[in-house]
Amino acid sequence: MNREYVAVLLEKKIVGKGNALLTFSGKEIAGKAEPGQFVNISCRYFLKRPFGVFAVDTKNNTFTIGVRETGKGTKDILSSRIGDTFLVLGPLGNGFDFANVQKIIAVGGGTGIFPLMFALEKAKSFGIPTIAVNGFRGKEDAFLLDDCESLAGKACFTSDAGDFGIHGNVLHALDTLTKEDTSGAAVFAVGPEIMMKKVSEWAAERGLSCQVSLERRMACGIGICLVCVCKVKAAEKGIPFTHVRCCKEGPVMNASEVIW
Amino acid sequence: MVDLSVQVGKLKLRNPVLLASGTCGFGRELKEYIDFSSIGGICSKGLTVLPREGNPGCRVAETPSGMLNSVGLQNPGLDRFVEYELPFMRTLDTAVIANIAGHSTEDYQRMTQVLGAPDSPVDALELNLSCPNVKEGCMTIGATPEGVYQMIKSVRSLTDKPLWVKLTPNVTSITATALAAEEAGGDAVVLINTLLGMAIDIKTRRPVLMNNTGGLSGPAIKPVAIRMISECYRLLSIPIIGVGGIMSAEDVIEFMIAGASAVEIGTASLLHPAVCEKIALDLEEYMLDNQLNAISELTGTLRLWES
Repeated sequence: MNREYVAVLLEKKIVGKGNALLTFSGKEIAGKAEPGQFVNISCRYFLKRPFGVFAVDTKNNTFTIGVRETGKGTKDILSSRIGDTFLVLGPLGNGFDFANVQKIIAVGGGTGIFPLMFALEKAKSFGIPTIAVNGFRGKEDAFLLDDCESLAGKACFTSDAGDFGIHGNVLHALDTLTKEDTSGAAVFAVGPEIMMKKVSEWAAERGLSCQVSLERRMACGIGICLVCVCKVKAAEKGIPFTHVRCCKEGPVMNASEVIW
Repeated sequence: MVDLSVQVGKLKLRNPVLLASGTCGFGRELKEYIDFSSIGGICSKGLTVLPREGNPGCRVAETPSGMLNSVGLQNPGLDRFVEYELPFMRTLDTAVIANIAGHSTEDYQRMTQVLGAPDSPVDALELNLSCPNVKEGCMTIGATPEGVYQMIKSVRSLTDKPLWVKLTPNVTSITATALAAEEAGGDAVVLINTLLGMAIDIKTRRPVLMNNTGGLSGPAIKPVAIRMISECYRLLSIPIIGVGGIMSAEDVIEFMIAGASAVEIGTASLLHPAVCEKIALDLEEYMLDNQLNAISELTGTLRLWES
């Protein structure tokens, strides 16, 4: 049986402007969560809020999420104090599929780096080579650069403003990769939808598989309310598209199935 | 030993707590969170003859003490339900109610013929005359007493199964539509479906929901449901199933005092998947604490102030 857990906020670490890593107690979630899965966490408003898992610590029975302030719910969660308790459902949804993955190119936009760090960590433990490409608006908005560099086999960063890393977006960085870098790689992309679309096209042009983590406004997080749907191809059913639940069939989906 | 069982017309339920349509799918996901033998029943997702993909997203907006949804009856259709979902629901050890919706009289008749047949494993049919998120059928039929009356008349003779009628609060007079349901042969009325609402993104000056409007649910609508149940209880002879913002056993008690014989839990399950099981347990405790022998004794015990 699954349960709704009570989790205690144990640690809050500010990482860059408006972002924090929050670590909660949670033996069951720490034990089960896979990269790309998410947790649904209560706040003072009506609905829970979904966050990709950033890391788990199975020794200390904790899990960590990255939170950016994007509205009143995230603002409330970010303003909570150590010792505050939350109701949590998770781990939820499907994470990244590591089956037959020989090499990973992890492409993050902004806070997309949070769940990708968990994937990079797992890849490292499996001995899978990784290249991380993360795009930010500018130096002020960038975070976790050192952590990413230490986890990934190779890491490169881009900034829209051009004040650090490669001037431009993640596609500019991807174009600098050599044939050797990309050959046989699986692409994992998390970020704004337009970025994931472009990255999936870049991958498709090179014959690379691509998994993307979709984001939708959610309510239940467990697949019963049907509000967080994504449009996916359904030619085999003889219809132009079908709606699948981001929380249940996703959030990580095979990019070739997604209708952007 | 306290008696939590309730009688809704000819259907006896283990306890008055049912899962509301549209907030529990067909029970597959909640089976991982609750023991279905602890609750009174489950109402299927709203069904249509053909599969429906529903409305485009965004389909949800958070509101004060509630939420708006504009799902639009996304469901696998009648055939798939009968082949795949219904046999599963039947394994859940609780009453199974099929919520049926449609565009036309023919749709409702076809669904009633199939799901209301004598050998159908469904315990009751819930006629959805109240979904606010589709362009045809549902709320457009349930908006007037004549519409409610005609639709029930058109399906009543097709089944001997209990016919529950889920009504919309988006009407001038809920007693008029509820009485029409009773006169046309409905076995019970389910009060209330969601209230039609809208939320606006002030940055884009566009509705949050791609459907522009949606159905408001959650504790925000509970007082409306209580008032409507109380009004209808005084005029109706058929039982009332209460729904609308129930979050706790105390809420269930309140609904029953107002006149409900049983209740449906909807939005609360979206927040806390196991809430209905907890509510059923809490009801038992409430009865012990208050020396009640049978929970059905509560129904309609409201004493209004003289005015």
